[in-house]
Amino acid sequence: MAEPSTAGRSFDEEALPHLDALYRVALRLTGDTSQAEDLVQDTMLKAYRAWRQYQPGTNAKGWLLTILRNTFINDYRRRRHEPIAMDLETAEPHAIDRSIEEVDPEGTFFSQIVDDKVVEAIDALPTEFKEVLVLSDVEGMRYAEIADSLQIPVGTVKSRLFRARRLLQAELYAHALEMGYIQPRESPT
Amino acid sequence: MSGVDCVQALVHLDDYLKRELTPELMVEVRQHLERCQDCFTHARFEENFLAMLETRASRETCPGKLRARILALLRREAENS
Repeated sequence: MAEPSTAGRSFDEEALPHLDALYRVALRLTGDTSQAEDLVQDTMLKAYRAWRQYQPGTNAKGWLLTILRNTFINDYRRRRHEPIAMDLETAEPHAIDRSIEEVDPEGTFFSQIVDDKVVEAIDALPTEFKEVLVLSDVEGMRYAEIADSLQIPVGTVKSRLFRARRLLQAELYAHALEMGYIQPRESPT
Repeated sequence: MSGVDCVQALVHLDDYLKRELTPELMVEVRQHLERCQDCFTHARFEENFLAMLETRASRETCPGKLRARILALLRREAENS
């Protein structure tokens, strides 16, 4: 019988539309297009084989991203040259956000930064910060879904997200200064 | 007058922008932002940042070759199961 099964059809309808999101997250996690492709392929095969465990009509994107993230941790992460993570609970991003706002209160400079630079700055974040930022602020997952996916408390999701955003803002601000998109305010001292 | 002050608005701002607050708090934070210029400006900054992230970092798409490879793999898997 060549007729696709009901399971096959629902997988096509519910899972395949998320390939772009899976590929983007895979790119951010692996930092490499060929590994990202392998990771997405492995994820889709695992998801297909486990499709009976998925509750139709629930959050397919979150379910798939959880599989992708677990596959990355188990099979890919140790292959990477992972920099020694900074102490995540004590790492304080520079208290720069306030000074950014003095120069450009509404953050209009953000719109001048090119896509590649934004992606590059995200890629440079420590993995623990990067993954919550990508899942929340790029892919639009809710705190509770991210907490579930990463197996960490919602409070940890929020504190990592907070730090990730500050680090990214500081990096993009430095870039905007360098490119002359904004002028530093003269120090009064 | 009830509602949230600047400190509470700041505490709740991230959750407000991600619509993760209770409906009551959503309204209270919004009302504070409407009447407080400083907090409104700060919220705009964060909003612009988040909007930039959402649009700039989500333009990459799954390459067609990869999509085709995955579809072929899934068809084989379906036939073999």
